[in-house]
Amino acid sequence: MMGRTIVIDPGRCIGCQACVSACRECDSHRGKSMIHLDYLDQGGSVASSPTVCMHCEDPVAPCAQVCPAEAILVTPDGVVHDADKSRCIGCGNCVNACPMGVPKIDLAAKLQFKCNLCYDRTSYGLAPMCATVCPTGSIFYGTLEELRTERPGVEVASTFDFDGSIISTGVAMVVPRGRPVDEPLPGGAGEHARVTGSPQPAGHLEPSADNVLGDPL
Amino acid sequence: MRPVLVGVVTALVLCAAIYLGSRELHNFDSALAPYAIASVFLAFGIAYRYTAWISSPGARRLFKKGWGAALSWRNLRRAPTALPRMIATYLGFQKFLGARSRARWAAHQLIFWGCLLAAAITFPLTWGWFTFTANTGAGPQYTMNIWGLPVVEFNALSLLGWVLFHGLDIAAVLVIAGATYFLIRRMRDREASTGQRFGYDLVPLLALIIISVTGLLLTFSSVALHGGGYEFLAVLHMAAVVLTLLYLPFGKFFHIAQRPAAVGMQLFKYTEHGEIRHCRNCGEPIDTTAYVDNLRATMRDLKLDFDGLAEVCPRCKRLRRGQAYRSTVKPGF
Ligand code: HEM
Ligand code: SF4
Ligand code: SF4
Repeated sequence: MMGRTIVIDPGRCIGCQACVSACRECDSHRGKSMIHLDYLDQGGSVASSPTVCMHCEDPVAPCAQVCPAEAILVTPDGVVHDADKSRCIGCGNCVNACPMGVPKIDLAAKLQFKCNLCYDRTSYGLAPMCATVCPTGSIFYGTLEELRTERPGVEVASTFDFDGSIISTGVAMVVPRGRPVDEPLPGGAGEHARVTGSPQPAGHLEPSADNVLGDPL
Repeated sequence: MRPVLVGVVTALVLCAAIYLGSRELHNFDSALAPYAIASVFLAFGIAYRYTAWISSPGARRLFKKGWGAALSWRNLRRAPTALPRMIATYLGFQKFLGARSRARWAAHQLIFWGCLLAAAITFPLTWGWFTFTANTGAGPQYTMNIWGLPVVEFNALSLLGWVLFHGLDIAAVLVIAGATYFLIRRMRDREASTGQRFGYDLVPLLALIIISVTGLLLTFSSVALHGGGYEFLAVLHMAAVVLTLLYLPFGKFFHIAQRPAAVGMQLFKYTEHGEIRHCRNCGEPIDTTAYVDNLRATMRDLKLDFDGLAEVCPRCKRLRRGQAYRSTVKPGF
Protein backbone atom coordinates (compact mmCIF):
# COMPACT_ATOMS: atom_id res chain seq x y z
CA MET A 1 0.00 0.00 0.00
CA MET A 2 1.32 3.44 -0.92
CA GLY A 3 1.70 6.13 1.74
CA ARG A 4 -0.85 8.51 0.33
CA THR A 5 -3.26 6.58 -1.79
CA ILE A 6 -6.85 5.83 -2.75
CA VAL A 7 -8.94 3.73 -0.38
CA ILE A 8 -12.15 2.30 -1.82
CA ASP A 9 -15.21 1.33 0.17
CA PRO A 10 -17.73 -0.25 -2.22
CA GLY A 11 -20.21 -0.37 0.68
CA ARG A 12 -20.53 3.42 0.51
CA CYS A 13 -20.92 3.64 -3.27
CA ILE A 14 -24.37 4.84 -4.36
CA GLY A 15 -23.65 4.48 -8.10
CA CYS A 16 -24.12 8.19 -8.79
CA GLN A 17 -21.46 8.32 -11.55
CA ALA A 18 -19.94 11.54 -10.18
CA CYS A 19 -16.47 9.93 -10.27
CA VAL A 20 -17.03 8.82 -13.86
CA SER A 21 -17.89 12.36 -14.93
CA ALA A 22 -15.05 13.92 -12.97
CA CYS A 23 -12.53 11.47 -14.43
CA ARG A 24 -13.63 12.50 -17.90
CA GLU A 25 -12.49 16.04 -17.09
CA CYS A 26 -8.96 14.99 -16.26
CA ASP A 27 -6.46 16.78 -18.49
CA SER A 28 -4.36 13.76 -19.32
CA HIS A 29 -7.25 11.94 -21.05
CA ARG A 30 -9.81 14.63 -21.73
CA GLY A 31 -13.25 13.38 -22.65
CA LYS A 32 -12.56 9.77 -21.72
CA SER A 33 -13.33 8.37 -18.31
CA MET A 34 -10.85 5.88 -16.91
CA ILE A 35 -12.76 4.92 -13.79
CA HIS A 36 -15.08 1.94 -14.01
CA LEU A 37 -18.37 1.89 -12.18
CA ASP A 38 -20.02 -1.50 -12.13
CA TYR A 39 -23.48 -2.41 -10.92
CA LEU A 40 -22.92 -5.67 -9.15
CA ASP A 41 -26.43 -6.95 -8.88
CA GLN A 42 -28.46 -5.35 -11.59
CA GLY A 43 -32.18 -5.78 -11.15
CA GLY A 44 -31.62 -7.13 -7.64
CA SER A 45 -30.15 -4.28 -5.63
CA VAL A 46 -28.41 -0.95 -6.03
CA ALA A 47 -25.00 -2.36 -5.12
CA SER A 48 -22.27 -0.74 -7.20
CA SER A 49 -18.53 -0.54 -7.05
CA PRO A 50 -15.93 1.85 -8.50
CA THR A 51 -12.65 0.49 -9.89
CA VAL A 52 -9.51 2.54 -10.33
CA CYS A 53 -6.06 1.22 -11.16
CA MET A 54 -4.89 -0.62 -8.05
CA HIS A 55 -1.22 0.20 -8.78
CA CYS A 56 -0.08 -3.39 -8.21
CA GLU A 57 3.09 -3.66 -6.13
CA ASP A 58 3.86 -7.36 -5.89
CA PRO A 59 3.99 -8.71 -8.52
CA VAL A 60 4.69 -5.22 -9.70
CA ALA A 61 2.29 -3.95 -12.40
CA PRO A 62 1.44 -7.08 -14.42
CA CYS A 63 0.22 -4.72 -17.15
CA ALA A 64 3.71 -3.24 -17.47
CA GLN A 65 5.37 -6.67 -17.35
CA VAL A 66 3.41 -8.07 -20.28
CA CYS A 67 3.78 -4.92 -22.36
CA PRO A 68 5.90 -5.81 -25.41
CA ALA A 69 6.78 -2.14 -26.03
CA GLU A 70 8.08 -1.09 -22.60
CA ALA A 71 5.35 1.53 -22.71
CA ILE A 72 4.12 1.48 -19.11
CA LEU A 73 6.34 3.31 -16.66
CA VAL A 74 6.24 2.65 -12.92
CA THR A 75 7.65 5.65 -11.06
CA PRO A 76 9.52 5.22 -7.75
CA ASP A 77 6.46 6.54 -5.89
CA GLY A 78 4.65 3.37 -6.95
CA VAL A 79 2.37 4.96 -9.53
CA VAL A 80 1.76 2.79 -12.60
CA HIS A 81 1.40 5.24 -15.47
CA ASP A 82 -0.70 5.22 -18.59
CA ALA A 83 1.06 4.13 -21.76
CA ASP A 84 3.79 6.25 -23.31
CA LYS A 85 2.20 7.65 -26.44
CA SER A 86 5.21 7.12 -28.68
CA ARG A 87 5.74 3.51 -27.60
CA CYS A 88 2.34 1.87 -27.07
CA ILE A 89 1.46 -0.18 -30.13
CA GLY A 90 -2.08 -0.85 -29.01
CA CYS A 91 -1.70 -4.60 -28.68
CA GLY A 92 -4.05 -4.93 -25.73
CA ASN A 93 -1.80 -7.19 -23.64
CA CYS A 94 -2.15 -4.91 -20.63
CA VAL A 95 -5.94 -4.79 -20.99
CA ASN A 96 -6.32 -8.53 -20.72
CA ALA A 97 -3.46 -9.29 -18.33
CA CYS A 98 -4.66 -6.84 -15.68
CA PRO A 99 -6.41 -8.97 -13.06
CA MET A 100 -8.59 -6.03 -12.05
CA GLY A 101 -9.97 -5.17 -15.51
CA VAL A 102 -8.56 -1.64 -15.56
CA PRO A 103 -6.79 -0.49 -18.78
CA LYS A 104 -8.78 0.69 -21.75
CA ILE A 105 -7.66 0.70 -25.34
CA ASP A 106 -8.42 2.89 -28.33
CA LEU A 107 -7.94 0.60 -31.31
CA ALA A 108 -8.12 3.34 -33.94
CA ALA A 109 -5.48 5.47 -32.21
CA LYS A 110 -3.49 2.34 -31.25
CA LEU A 111 -3.19 3.60 -27.73
CA GLN A 112 -3.89 2.36 -24.25
CA PHE A 113 -5.39 4.61 -21.61
CA LYS A 114 -5.59 3.93 -17.92
CA CYS A 115 -5.98 5.54 -14.54
CA ASN A 116 -2.68 7.12 -13.53
CA LEU A 117 -3.84 8.23 -10.09
CA CYS A 118 -4.42 11.68 -11.64
CA TYR A 119 -0.69 12.24 -11.78
CA ASP A 120 -1.21 15.80 -12.97
CA ARG A 121 -2.91 16.43 -9.61
CA THR A 122 -1.40 14.00 -7.11
CA SER A 123 2.17 14.90 -8.04
CA TYR A 124 1.26 18.42 -6.89
CA GLY A 125 -0.36 17.25 -3.66
CA LEU A 126 -3.98 17.45 -4.86
CA ALA A 127 -6.45 14.58 -4.53
CA PRO A 128 -7.49 12.71 -7.70
CA MET A 129 -10.65 13.90 -9.46
CA CYS A 130 -12.74 10.89 -8.40
CA ALA A 131 -11.90 11.20 -4.70
CA THR A 132 -12.54 14.94 -4.82
CA VAL A 133 -16.10 14.57 -6.08
CA CYS A 134 -17.25 11.33 -4.45
CA PRO A 135 -20.14 12.45 -2.21
CA THR A 136 -20.11 9.43 0.10
CA GLY A 137 -16.43 8.84 0.76
CA SER A 138 -16.54 5.60 -1.20
CA ILE A 139 -13.34 6.82 -2.89
CA PHE A 140 -11.03 8.34 -0.28
CA TYR A 141 -7.59 9.79 -0.95
CA GLY A 142 -4.99 10.27 1.78
CA THR A 143 -2.87 8.36 4.24
CA LEU A 144 -4.18 5.64 6.52
CA GLU A 145 -3.86 8.04 9.50
CA GLU A 146 -5.94 10.64 7.70
CA LEU A 147 -8.56 8.03 6.93
CA ARG A 148 -8.62 6.97 10.59
CA THR A 149 -9.11 10.50 11.88
CA GLU A 150 -12.23 10.63 9.72
CA ARG A 151 -13.34 7.08 10.42
CA PRO A 152 -11.89 5.89 13.74
CA GLY A 153 -10.86 2.27 13.84
CA VAL A 154 -11.40 1.60 10.14
CA GLU A 155 -9.46 -1.33 8.70
CA VAL A 156 -8.14 -1.65 5.16
CA ALA A 157 -6.68 -4.48 3.10
CA SER A 158 -4.45 -4.30 0.05
CA THR A 159 -3.85 -7.90 -0.98
CA PHE A 160 -5.98 -9.95 -3.34
CA ASP A 161 -6.24 -13.67 -3.90
CA PHE A 162 -6.80 -14.74 -7.50
CA ASP A 163 -7.33 -18.43 -7.12
CA GLY A 164 -4.05 -18.86 -5.26
CA SER A 165 -2.05 -16.01 -6.83
CA ILE A 166 -1.60 -13.24 -4.30
CA ILE A 167 -1.29 -9.67 -5.53
CA SER A 168 -0.56 -6.78 -3.21
CA THR A 169 -1.57 -3.35 -4.41
CA GLY A 170 -0.83 0.30 -3.81
CA VAL A 171 -4.53 1.14 -3.59
CA ALA A 172 -6.46 -0.31 -0.63
CA MET A 173 -10.03 -1.34 0.17
CA VAL A 174 -11.98 -0.92 3.38
CA VAL A 175 -12.75 -4.18 5.19
CA PRO A 176 -15.10 -4.70 8.14
CA ARG A 177 -13.56 -4.36 11.57
CA GLY A 178 -12.56 -7.67 13.05
CA ARG A 179 -11.64 -9.26 9.72
CA PRO A 180 -8.00 -10.34 9.87
CA VAL A 181 -6.21 -7.52 7.96
CA ASP A 182 -3.64 -9.81 6.39
CA GLU A 183 -6.30 -12.07 4.93
CA PRO A 184 -6.33 -11.35 1.19
CA LEU A 185 -9.50 -10.06 -0.41
CA PRO A 186 -11.13 -12.45 -2.88
CA GLY A 187 -10.21 -11.63 -6.47
CA GLY A 188 -13.34 -13.28 -7.77
CA ALA A 189 -11.53 -16.08 -9.53
CA GLY A 190 -11.94 -19.74 -8.66
CA GLU A 191 -14.40 -20.61 -5.91
CA HIS A 192 -15.77 -17.10 -5.54
CA ALA A 193 -16.51 -16.72 -9.21
CA ARG A 194 -20.12 -16.42 -10.10
CA VAL A 195 -21.68 -16.00 -13.49
CA THR A 196 -22.77 -12.41 -13.76
CA GLY A 197 -26.29 -11.40 -14.62
CA SER A 198 -27.72 -8.85 -16.98
CA PRO A 199 -25.73 -6.60 -19.30
CA GLN A 200 -24.01 -3.47 -18.02
CA PRO A 201 -24.51 -0.63 -17.45
CA ALA A 202 -28.03 0.67 -16.95
CA GLY A 203 -29.85 3.22 -19.07
CA HIS A 204 -28.21 5.52 -21.55
CA LEU A 205 -25.09 6.23 -19.55
CA GLU A 206 -21.82 6.09 -21.41
CA PRO A 207 -20.53 2.56 -21.08
CA SER A 208 -17.73 3.25 -18.66
CA ALA A 209 -17.52 -0.48 -18.24
CA ASP A 210 -16.43 -0.98 -21.80
CA ASN A 211 -12.65 -1.29 -22.06
CA VAL A 212 -12.51 -0.97 -25.82
CA LEU A 213 -12.87 2.52 -27.23
CA GLY A 214 -13.54 2.53 -30.95
CA ASP A 215 -14.49 -0.55 -32.93
CA PRO A 216 -13.87 -3.76 -31.06
CA LEU A 217 -11.63 -6.22 -32.92
CA MET B 1 26.33 -10.44 -23.39
CA ARG B 2 24.27 -11.23 -26.46
CA PRO B 3 23.15 -7.60 -27.03
CA VAL B 4 26.81 -6.51 -27.02
CA LEU B 5 27.72 -9.23 -29.50
CA VAL B 6 24.87 -8.39 -31.85
CA GLY B 7 25.79 -4.72 -31.54
CA VAL B 8 29.44 -5.32 -32.40
CA VAL B 9 28.58 -7.53 -35.37
CA THR B 10 26.15 -4.92 -36.72
CA ALA B 11 28.73 -2.15 -36.33
CA LEU B 12 31.35 -4.26 -38.13
CA VAL B 13 28.95 -5.01 -40.98
CA LEU B 14 28.35 -1.28 -41.38
CA CYS B 15 32.11 -0.61 -41.35
CA ALA B 16 32.57 -3.17 -44.11
CA ALA B 17 29.71 -1.65 -46.09
CA ILE B 18 31.26 1.82 -45.74
CA TYR B 19 34.65 0.50 -46.82
CA LEU B 20 33.29 -1.27 -49.89
CA GLY B 21 30.65 1.33 -50.78
CA SER B 22 33.20 4.12 -50.78
CA ARG B 23 35.42 2.08 -53.09
CA GLU B 24 37.92 1.25 -50.37
CA LEU B 25 37.63 4.74 -48.86
CA HIS B 26 38.57 6.28 -52.20
CA ASN B 27 35.34 8.34 -52.13
CA PHE B 28 35.30 8.78 -48.38
CA ASP B 29 35.24 12.45 -47.35
CA SER B 30 37.43 12.71 -44.27
CA ALA B 31 35.81 16.02 -43.32
CA LEU B 32 32.65 13.99 -42.67
CA ALA B 33 34.45 11.27 -40.69
CA PRO B 34 32.93 12.24 -37.31
CA TYR B 35 29.46 11.70 -38.79
CA ALA B 36 30.43 8.33 -40.21
CA ILE B 37 31.98 7.25 -36.91
CA ALA B 38 28.85 8.35 -35.05
CA SER B 39 26.75 6.28 -37.44
CA VAL B 40 28.83 3.21 -36.59
CA PHE B 41 28.13 3.81 -32.89
CA LEU B 42 24.49 4.33 -33.80
CA ALA B 43 24.40 0.93 -35.51
CA PHE B 44 25.93 -0.62 -32.39
CA GLY B 45 23.46 1.20 -30.11
CA ILE B 46 20.36 0.25 -32.06
CA ALA B 47 21.34 -3.40 -32.41
CA TYR B 48 22.29 -3.53 -28.72
CA ARG B 49 19.06 -1.93 -27.50
CA TYR B 50 16.93 -3.93 -29.92
CA THR B 51 18.42 -7.24 -28.80
CA ALA B 52 18.05 -6.31 -25.13
CA TRP B 53 14.47 -5.22 -25.77
CA ILE B 54 13.35 -8.40 -27.55
CA SER B 55 14.79 -10.57 -24.81
CA SER B 56 11.93 -9.63 -22.46
CA PRO B 57 9.12 -12.20 -22.66
CA GLY B 58 6.39 -9.95 -24.07
CA ALA B 59 8.55 -8.51 -26.81
CA ARG B 60 10.27 -11.82 -27.63
CA ARG B 61 6.98 -13.61 -28.24
CA LEU B 62 5.63 -10.73 -30.29
CA PHE B 63 8.87 -10.58 -32.31
CA LYS B 64 8.59 -14.26 -33.20
CA LYS B 65 4.87 -14.19 -33.94
CA GLY B 66 5.13 -10.92 -35.86
CA TRP B 67 7.93 -12.06 -38.14
CA GLY B 68 6.27 -15.46 -38.46
CA ALA B 69 3.13 -13.77 -39.76
CA ALA B 70 5.00 -11.31 -41.96
CA LEU B 71 7.05 -14.04 -43.64
CA SER B 72 4.29 -16.61 -43.73
CA TRP B 73 3.74 -18.04 -47.18
CA ARG B 74 0.11 -18.73 -46.35
CA ASN B 75 -0.52 -15.09 -45.41
CA LEU B 76 1.29 -13.89 -48.49
CA ARG B 77 -0.89 -16.01 -50.74
CA ARG B 78 -4.12 -15.20 -48.94
CA ALA B 79 -3.60 -11.45 -48.52
CA PRO B 80 -0.65 -10.44 -50.67
CA THR B 81 -1.25 -6.71 -50.20
CA ALA B 82 -1.76 -6.76 -46.44
CA LEU B 83 1.89 -6.24 -45.51
CA PRO B 84 2.83 -3.53 -48.02
CA ARG B 85 -0.45 -1.74 -47.33
CA MET B 86 0.17 -1.74 -43.61
CA ILE B 87 3.73 -0.55 -44.04
CA ALA B 88 2.49 2.40 -46.09
CA THR B 89 -0.53 3.40 -44.00
CA TYR B 90 0.93 2.58 -40.63
CA LEU B 91 4.66 3.21 -40.84
CA GLY B 92 4.69 5.78 -43.62
CA PHE B 93 1.55 7.83 -43.25
CA GLN B 94 0.84 6.94 -39.59
CA LYS B 95 -2.89 7.13 -40.16
CA PHE B 96 -3.61 6.04 -36.60
CA LEU B 97 -2.14 9.29 -35.30
CA GLY B 98 -5.02 11.10 -36.96
CA ALA B 99 -7.33 9.35 -34.50
CA ARG B 100 -5.44 11.07 -31.67
CA SER B 101 -5.54 14.51 -33.24
CA ARG B 102 -5.13 15.85 -36.73
CA ALA B 103 -2.53 18.39 -35.61
CA ARG B 104 -0.39 15.72 -33.96
CA TRP B 105 -0.61 13.64 -37.11
CA ALA B 106 0.44 16.56 -39.29
CA ALA B 107 3.29 17.60 -37.02
CA HIS B 108 4.59 14.05 -36.80
CA GLN B 109 4.40 13.64 -40.57
CA LEU B 110 6.54 16.76 -40.96
CA ILE B 111 9.15 15.39 -38.56
CA PHE B 112 9.02 11.93 -40.09
CA TRP B 113 9.38 12.91 -43.77
CA GLY B 114 11.88 15.61 -42.89
CA CYS B 115 14.11 13.19 -41.00
CA LEU B 116 13.69 10.49 -43.62
CA LEU B 117 14.74 12.89 -46.38
CA ALA B 118 17.68 14.14 -44.34
CA ALA B 119 18.82 10.63 -43.50
CA ALA B 120 18.49 9.48 -47.11
CA ILE B 121 20.82 12.28 -48.19
CA THR B 122 23.32 12.47 -45.38
CA PHE B 123 24.03 8.86 -44.44
CA PRO B 124 25.14 7.82 -47.95
CA LEU B 125 27.14 11.04 -48.29
CA THR B 126 29.04 10.57 -45.04
CA TRP B 127 29.67 6.93 -45.91
CA GLY B 128 31.14 7.96 -49.24
CA TRP B 129 28.40 6.09 -51.12
CA PHE B 130 27.18 9.14 -53.05
CA THR B 131 29.60 11.34 -54.93
CA PHE B 132 29.08 14.23 -57.29
CA THR B 133 31.46 14.76 -60.15
CA ALA B 134 31.51 17.83 -62.33
CA ASN B 135 31.43 16.90 -66.00
CA THR B 136 33.22 20.06 -67.10
CA GLY B 137 35.41 21.96 -64.69
CA ALA B 138 33.01 23.83 -62.40
CA GLY B 139 29.64 22.61 -63.70
CA PRO B 140 26.81 23.35 -64.07
CA GLN B 141 26.54 19.81 -65.46
CA TYR B 142 27.05 17.19 -62.70
CA THR B 143 26.86 13.44 -62.42
CA MET B 144 25.65 11.76 -59.26
CA ASN B 145 27.34 8.44 -58.53
CA ILE B 146 26.26 5.71 -56.14
CA TRP B 147 29.00 3.31 -55.08
CA GLY B 148 31.11 4.86 -57.77
CA LEU B 149 28.60 4.07 -60.53
CA PRO B 150 27.09 7.02 -62.40
CA VAL B 151 23.34 7.18 -61.78
CA VAL B 152 21.92 10.57 -62.79
CA GLU B 153 23.28 13.45 -64.72
CA PHE B 154 21.80 16.81 -63.92
CA ASN B 155 22.18 20.51 -64.29
CA ALA B 156 22.91 22.22 -60.99
CA LEU B 157 20.77 25.15 -62.08
CA SER B 158 17.72 23.00 -62.91
CA LEU B 159 14.92 22.12 -60.52
CA LEU B 160 16.34 18.64 -59.90
CA GLY B 161 19.72 20.19 -59.21
CA TRP B 162 18.22 22.67 -56.81
CA VAL B 163 16.33 19.95 -54.93
CA LEU B 164 19.41 17.73 -54.77
CA PHE B 165 21.54 20.51 -53.35
CA HIS B 166 18.88 21.97 -51.07
CA GLY B 167 17.21 18.76 -49.87
CA LEU B 168 18.66 19.25 -46.43
CA ASP B 169 17.28 22.76 -46.18
CA ILE B 170 13.82 21.51 -47.12
CA ALA B 171 14.13 18.74 -44.54
CA ALA B 172 15.19 21.26 -41.90
CA VAL B 173 12.13 23.44 -42.53
CA LEU B 174 9.79 20.44 -42.24
CA VAL B 175 11.43 19.25 -39.03
CA ILE B 176 11.48 22.70 -37.41
CA ALA B 177 7.75 23.12 -38.07
CA GLY B 178 6.82 19.73 -36.64
CA ALA B 179 9.13 19.82 -33.64
CA THR B 180 8.08 23.36 -32.72
CA TYR B 181 4.44 22.29 -32.70
CA PHE B 182 5.25 19.41 -30.32
CA LEU B 183 7.38 21.66 -28.15
CA ILE B 184 4.59 24.20 -27.75
CA ARG B 185 2.15 21.40 -27.04
CA ARG B 186 4.44 20.10 -24.32
CA MET B 187 4.51 23.53 -22.69
CA ARG B 188 0.81 24.30 -22.96
CA ASP B 189 -1.15 21.06 -22.97
CA ARG B 190 -1.44 19.03 -19.80
CA GLU B 191 -2.28 15.93 -21.77
CA ALA B 192 1.30 16.03 -23.02
CA SER B 193 3.03 17.60 -20.06
CA THR B 194 1.71 15.34 -17.28
CA GLY B 195 4.69 13.39 -16.00
CA GLN B 196 6.92 14.55 -18.84
CA ARG B 197 10.66 14.22 -18.29
CA PHE B 198 13.26 16.59 -19.65
CA GLY B 199 15.67 13.96 -20.94
CA TYR B 200 13.02 11.72 -22.42
CA ASP B 201 10.42 14.14 -23.76
CA LEU B 202 12.07 17.50 -24.33
CA VAL B 203 15.63 16.63 -25.36
CA PRO B 204 14.52 14.89 -28.61
CA LEU B 205 12.54 17.93 -29.72
CA LEU B 206 15.29 20.36 -28.77
CA ALA B 207 17.86 18.18 -30.55
CA LEU B 208 15.82 18.15 -33.77
CA ILE B 209 15.40 21.91 -33.65
CA ILE B 210 19.07 22.61 -32.90
CA ILE B 211 20.24 20.34 -35.72
CA SER B 212 17.83 21.88 -38.20
CA VAL B 213 18.50 25.49 -37.23
CA THR B 214 22.29 25.12 -37.32
CA GLY B 215 21.94 23.29 -40.65
CA LEU B 216 19.93 26.15 -42.14
CA LEU B 217 22.40 28.66 -40.76
CA LEU B 218 25.18 26.85 -42.63
CA THR B 219 23.33 27.43 -45.88
CA PHE B 220 22.61 31.00 -44.85
CA SER B 221 26.27 31.57 -44.07
CA SER B 222 27.47 30.32 -47.45
CA VAL B 223 24.72 32.04 -49.47
CA ALA B 224 24.48 35.38 -47.70
CA LEU B 225 27.56 35.81 -45.54
CA HIS B 226 30.21 34.54 -47.94
CA GLY B 227 30.97 31.78 -45.46
CA GLY B 228 31.12 34.04 -42.42
CA GLY B 229 30.94 31.98 -39.22
CA TYR B 230 30.83 28.77 -41.28
CA GLU B 231 33.57 26.98 -39.37
CA PHE B 232 31.97 27.65 -36.03
CA LEU B 233 28.48 26.64 -37.25
CA ALA B 234 29.87 23.49 -38.83
CA VAL B 235 31.37 22.40 -35.52
CA LEU B 236 28.15 23.22 -33.66
CA HIS B 237 26.04 21.34 -36.19
CA MET B 238 28.33 18.34 -36.13
CA ALA B 239 28.34 18.21 -32.34
CA ALA B 240 24.52 18.34 -32.27
CA VAL B 241 24.17 15.58 -34.86
CA VAL B 242 26.78 13.30 -33.30
CA LEU B 243 25.28 13.62 -29.81
CA THR B 244 21.78 12.98 -31.17
CA LEU B 245 22.87 9.87 -33.04
CA LEU B 246 24.53 8.52 -29.90
CA TYR B 247 21.39 9.29 -27.86
CA LEU B 248 18.97 7.87 -30.41
CA PRO B 249 18.87 4.23 -29.22
CA PHE B 250 18.39 5.14 -25.58
CA GLY B 251 15.58 7.68 -25.48
CA LYS B 252 12.31 8.46 -27.16
CA PHE B 253 13.79 8.14 -30.65
CA PHE B 254 14.05 4.40 -30.10
CA HIS B 255 10.38 4.21 -31.06
CA ILE B 256 11.59 4.46 -34.66
CA ALA B 257 13.08 0.98 -34.24
CA GLN B 258 10.29 -0.30 -32.01
CA ARG B 259 7.15 0.77 -33.83
CA PRO B 260 7.41 -1.65 -36.77
CA ALA B 261 6.51 -4.28 -34.16
CA ALA B 262 2.97 -2.90 -34.39
CA VAL B 263 2.74 -4.14 -37.97
CA GLY B 264 3.81 -7.60 -36.83
CA MET B 265 1.29 -7.47 -33.99
CA GLN B 266 -1.51 -6.49 -36.30
CA LEU B 267 -0.61 -9.18 -38.84
CA PHE B 268 -0.31 -11.98 -36.34
CA LYS B 269 -3.39 -10.93 -34.41
CA TYR B 270 -5.77 -10.62 -37.33
CA THR B 271 -4.46 -12.80 -40.13
CA GLU B 272 -3.24 -15.90 -38.29
CA HIS B 273 -6.60 -17.59 -37.59
CA GLY B 274 -10.01 -16.09 -37.89
CA GLU B 275 -11.04 -17.46 -34.51
CA ILE B 276 -12.21 -15.25 -31.67
CA ARG B 277 -11.88 -16.09 -27.99
CA HIS B 278 -14.97 -15.25 -25.95
CA CYS B 279 -15.25 -14.35 -22.28
CA ARG B 280 -15.70 -17.48 -20.21
CA ASN B 281 -18.19 -15.64 -18.09
CA CYS B 282 -20.43 -13.55 -20.33
CA GLY B 283 -19.54 -14.77 -23.81
CA GLU B 284 -18.59 -11.35 -25.20
CA PRO B 285 -15.62 -11.46 -27.60
CA ILE B 286 -12.24 -10.70 -25.99
CA ASP B 287 -9.79 -10.93 -28.86
CA THR B 288 -8.47 -13.41 -31.39
CA THR B 289 -7.55 -16.86 -30.16
CA ALA B 290 -3.99 -16.52 -31.44
CA TYR B 291 -3.58 -13.34 -29.45
CA VAL B 292 -5.10 -14.60 -26.18
CA ASP B 293 -2.98 -17.77 -26.31
CA ASN B 294 0.13 -15.67 -26.90
CA LEU B 295 -0.73 -13.42 -23.95
CA ARG B 296 -1.29 -16.39 -21.65
CA ALA B 297 2.07 -17.85 -22.65
CA THR B 298 3.71 -14.47 -21.98
CA MET B 299 2.11 -14.33 -18.54
CA ARG B 300 3.34 -17.81 -17.71
CA ASP B 301 6.87 -16.83 -18.81
CA LEU B 302 6.65 -14.00 -16.31
CA LYS B 303 5.31 -16.27 -13.55
CA LEU B 304 2.03 -14.36 -13.54
CA ASP B 305 0.14 -17.56 -12.89
CA PHE B 306 -3.32 -16.00 -13.02
CA ASP B 307 -3.06 -16.22 -16.80
CA GLY B 308 -6.39 -18.06 -16.98
CA LEU B 309 -8.04 -14.75 -16.12
CA ALA B 310 -7.04 -13.50 -19.57
CA GLU B 311 -10.02 -15.48 -20.81
CA VAL B 312 -12.43 -13.46 -18.70
CA CYS B 313 -13.32 -10.04 -20.08
CA PRO B 314 -12.25 -6.98 -18.08
CA ARG B 315 -15.78 -6.12 -17.05
CA CYS B 316 -16.50 -9.60 -15.75
CA LYS B 317 -13.24 -9.51 -13.79
CA ARG B 318 -14.46 -6.39 -12.03
CA LEU B 319 -17.95 -7.75 -11.50
CA ARG B 320 -16.68 -11.01 -10.08
CA ARG B 321 -14.30 -9.28 -7.73
CA GLY B 322 -17.04 -6.89 -6.62
CA GLN B 323 -19.49 -9.71 -6.13
CA ALA B 324 -16.99 -11.75 -4.15
CA TYR B 325 -16.39 -8.73 -1.92
CA ARG B 326 -20.10 -8.32 -1.49
CA SER B 327 -20.75 -11.96 -0.69
CA THR B 328 -17.78 -12.77 1.52
CA VAL B 329 -16.14 -9.58 2.84
CA LYS B 330 -18.96 -7.17 3.55
CA PRO B 331 -22.06 -9.29 3.01
CA GLY B 332 -24.95 -7.64 1.27
CA PHE B 333 -23.82 -4.02 1.51
C1 HEM C 1 12.40 9.43 -38.76
C2 HEM C 1 11.67 8.86 -37.98
C3 HEM C 1 10.94 9.45 -36.79
C4 HEM C 1 11.24 10.52 -36.00
C5 HEM C 1 12.42 11.44 -36.08
C6 HEM C 1 10.21 10.62 -34.99
C7 HEM C 1 10.17 11.58 -34.01
C8 HEM C 1 9.19 11.68 -33.03
C9 HEM C 1 9.19 12.63 -31.96
C10 HEM C 1 10.23 13.68 -31.71
C11 HEM C 1 8.09 12.41 -31.21
C12 HEM C 1 7.71 13.13 -29.92
C13 HEM C 1 6.58 14.07 -30.06
C14 HEM C 1 6.21 14.63 -28.72
O1 HEM C 1 7.00 15.41 -28.14
O2 HEM C 1 5.14 14.30 -28.20
C15 HEM C 1 7.38 11.32 -31.81
C16 HEM C 1 6.20 10.80 -31.36
C17 HEM C 1 5.57 9.71 -31.91
N1 HEM C 1 6.03 8.93 -32.96
FE1 HEM C 1 7.65 9.29 -34.08
N2 HEM C 1 9.30 9.61 -35.20
C18 HEM C 1 9.72 8.87 -36.29
C19 HEM C 1 9.11 7.77 -36.83
C20 HEM C 1 7.96 7.22 -36.36
C21 HEM C 1 7.28 6.08 -36.94
C22 HEM C 1 7.74 5.30 -38.16
C23 HEM C 1 6.17 5.86 -36.16
C24 HEM C 1 5.11 4.80 -36.29
C25 HEM C 1 4.52 4.40 -37.23
C26 HEM C 1 6.15 6.85 -35.12
C27 HEM C 1 5.19 6.95 -34.16
C28 HEM C 1 5.11 7.94 -33.18
C29 HEM C 1 4.03 8.07 -32.24
C30 HEM C 1 2.82 7.14 -32.14
C31 HEM C 1 4.30 9.18 -31.44
C32 HEM C 1 3.42 9.75 -30.32
C33 HEM C 1 2.69 10.93 -30.93
C34 HEM C 1 1.52 11.43 -30.11
O3 HEM C 1 0.70 10.63 -29.66
O4 HEM C 1 1.41 12.65 -29.95
N3 HEM C 1 7.25 7.65 -35.25
N4 HEM C 1 8.08 10.89 -32.93
S1 SF4 D 1 -4.55 -2.85 -11.48
FE1 SF4 D 1 -4.17 -3.47 -13.61
S2 SF4 D 1 -3.60 -1.60 -14.64
FE2 SF4 D 1 -3.35 -1.21 -12.44
S3 SF4 D 1 -1.19 -1.75 -11.99
FE3 SF4 D 1 -2.41 -3.59 -11.62
S4 SF4 D 1 -2.28 -4.69 -13.56
FE4 SF4 D 1 -1.69 -2.59 -14.01
S1 SF4 E 1 -1.60 -1.88 -25.44
FE1 SF4 E 1 0.20 -0.54 -25.35
S2 SF4 E 1 0.64 -0.32 -23.16
FE2 SF4 E 1 -0.74 -2.07 -23.38
S3 SF4 E 1 0.62 -3.83 -23.51
FE3 SF4 E 1 0.22 -3.22 -25.62
S4 SF4 E 1 1.87 -1.82 -26.16
FE4 SF4 E 1 1.89 -2.02 -23.92
